[in-house]
Amino acid sequence: MAVKIIESCVNCFACEPVCPSKAIYEAKPHFRVNSNKCTECEGDYPVYQCASICPIEGAILNSLGEPINPPGSLTGIPPEKMAEAMAELQAH
Amino acid sequence: MELPVLNDAPKAGGCSAGSCGSTDDQMNQLPDSIREKVQNHPCYSEDAHHYFARMHVAVAPACNIQCHYCNRKYDCANESRPGVVSELLTPDQAVKKTMAVAATIPQMTVLGIAGPGDPLANPERTFETFRRLSEEAPDIKLCVSTNGLALPDAVEELSKHNIDHVTITINCVDPEIGAKIYPWIFWNNRRIKGVKAAKILIEQQQKGLEMLIAKGILVKVNSVMIPGVNDKHLAEVSKVVKSKGAFLHNVMPLIAEAEHGTFYGVMGQRGPTPDELQDLQDACSGDMNMMRHCRQCRADAVGLLGEDRGDEFTMDKIETMEIDYQAAMEKRKVIHEAIQAEMDSKRLEKAAKTEQFKQEPKLNTRPVLMAVATSGQGLINVHFGHAKEFLIYEASPEGVRFISHRKADQYCGGDTTCGETESTLMRTIRALEGCEAVLCSKVGYEPWEMLETAGIQPNGEHAMEPIEDAVMAVYKEMAAAGKLDAKPDAARASA
Repeated sequence: MAVKIIESCVNCFACEPVCPSKAIYEAKPHFRVNSNKCTECEGDYPVYQCASICPIEGAILNSLGEPINPPGSLTGIPPEKMAEAMAELQAH
Repeated sequence: MELPVLNDAPKAGGCSAGSCGSTDDQMNQLPDSIREKVQNHPCYSEDAHHYFARMHVAVAPACNIQCHYCNRKYDCANESRPGVVSELLTPDQAVKKTMAVAATIPQMTVLGIAGPGDPLANPERTFETFRRLSEEAPDIKLCVSTNGLALPDAVEELSKHNIDHVTITINCVDPEIGAKIYPWIFWNNRRIKGVKAAKILIEQQQKGLEMLIAKGILVKVNSVMIPGVNDKHLAEVSKVVKSKGAFLHNVMPLIAEAEHGTFYGVMGQRGPTPDELQDLQDACSGDMNMMRHCRQCRADAVGLLGEDRGDEFTMDKIETMEIDYQAAMEKRKVIHEAIQAEMDSKRLEKAAKTEQFKQEPKLNTRPVLMAVATSGQGLINVHFGHAKEFLIYEASPEGVRFISHRKADQYCGGDTTCGETESTLMRTIRALEGCEAVLCSKVGYEPWEMLETAGIQPNGEHAMEPIEDAVMAVYKEMAAAGKLDAKPDAARASA
């Protein structure tokens, strides 16, 4: 039972101070979660604290390996619209 | 030639209190206590920014809200816009960097913390930096900017340091509009979305503003103008923040490009045209001192406004510098006094010219926008092709007033690498749209022809002359040549 921070993390520090278990630490190339300490906030909060402040969709996974904030859920940009814009840029 | 810079817009119903800009003249409209604090601050006065420099230290990465014009992933060395940085600093590194810059660029008087996240969402890092600088470099003014969400809780701590200005970004006072700008906030251990989130943010911003004013801390308000979202609403915002005691309002144009990966960029939201921005600034100016010279710099910018010398002060370079700050402070003091004396004498000279201008017979001609190429000191001293930006002035029978600045090439410095087929020269000429003349120290043959074709008269006859003198001289020449009699539809009825 632990969340995981993956490579799309931008090292913004937002999650580190809000973790009730002090399970998150600065590391290279990105922040990491100590899976022995992480409680998924159980007993402290009804929602994951790290994933509630994280600005990057997909950067934090739950214990099933699923993104807690799936594409489009935070920015409001529909994933297909984002893909379209990026494809357009690559074409140049 | 005589030339005033105006306090007032040319027609009634414009700037009622004679206070529409932040040029030195507009600053003269402020109470002495405030003017004293801001007149040497490069970010608050177009005049001062040619003499004094500022820097930002990027110690605050975390943010507690999302704005639709921001992408938290971005780091591009070629870009200059808020939210972008190259190197995140610890408070210790930030203090070293600040002192190294202050010793190397004695004109640097102001240190700001502006991100790349929200400074007050990183209270430990932000306040440790301020605490140490207040002690170790007491001759540097400290500034902070914030989205306001955590502001009420930070006011007490802010009032303990050498901070006399706080900037709050307030884009709306209506939660329905806010919901179109802020997709979420982190509040009381939860992510909150929609109108509810915007309502909390707005309440915190307004409460924070009131608390700062009550503590005697100066507040400037920044607003991002987003056409179709809050453009019609910002005059109301200006009224509200002024009534609560903010001393300056800075309405900035939205920067939105698909390659920035922001919501607005990807969704095709456009920014305002220079005309739309000026109309809004003029509309707000009846209620508020408006700031018109903001260069929307990076969260780690170093140097005079519009320039960035950050590359000279990377951490690996700073580690090798030996700084004797006591000696540096003495040198800084002498230089600051000399600059002050020069600025004071120029202000007096300008005031005398304004008086003289009032005695002259008044023209009855339409206003004209002119672009000026300058590297500072109030002179026309840059070759057209070397100008990175142009200052836009309006000449009218009332005198000359500073309107805005426009970048010569767009936000991304890349010429051919950015996929645009349009030449830099074409882009520059397009950026001068609405201007009828461009004053510079020299103009090449090719741009001369292209400018003329675009209806912009190039003029290199006033090299090294004071800007306002030259603009008025050209205006009078245009009037004498009968170019200003008619009010063509294309001409802006400015102000």
